[in-house]
Amino acid sequence: MSAPRIAIAALFAAAVPVHAADSNQTTLENKIAQCQGCHGIVDWKTAFPEVYRVPKLGGQKANYLVAALKAYKSGERDFATMRAIAAPLSDQDMQALANYYAEKK
Amino acid sequence: MKKILVASLLALALPAVAASGDSEAGKKKSTPCAACHGANGVSASPDFPNLAGQYDDYIVKALSHYKNGKRKNPIMQAQVANLSQKDMLDLAAYFSSQKQLAVKH
Repeated sequence: MSAPRIAIAALFAAAVPVHAADSNQTTLENKIAQCQGCHGIVDWKTAFPEVYRVPKLGGQKANYLVAALKAYKSGERDFATMRAIAAPLSDQDMQALANYYAEKK
Repeated sequence: MKKILVASLLALALPAVAASGDSEAGKKKSTPCAACHGANGVSASPDFPNLAGQYDDYIVKALSHYKNGKRKNPIMQAQVANLSQKDMLDLAAYFSSQKQLAVKH
């Protein structure tokens, strides 16, 4: 390998993890935004099939939130909106979202 | 005429009564809940959700869903088996009056 090629390869190697971290951050922010559409609004209510206020998540236990998301993803917990939201989430996504909401502020 | 007036007042009042629980009564009924969810509605275990400050209508909905089997959890299923609608409203009034959970903005 020539010196310039090594340099280019080294630059790529250095650049890739940074890019990945950036896009993870962006993805998490997008995912949080999805939750906030309902859970970030005071007194926001479900409309179907029953009407009640969606639960407050700020200050909730992270383990519980992960378990809830997994139960929605598996279909064990049955609420159409949450099943659709949870379906594409990875275990890492769920943990990151749970950690975000476990902090009250 | 007076009777009609009283009857219509009662008709107006009943839905409001049905929708709100008695927090003091709920406190007395909450002893079994405290074992997992904490006496102050803040759970000692990371696996059990905090109830303190949760919306009362969400708590009632969760308890009803455990009772009718829509939401499945062996522990909760046993706990709610003998709860009446009034019990659920009272417990929800009690836990929603405590402080922990918040809508995270």
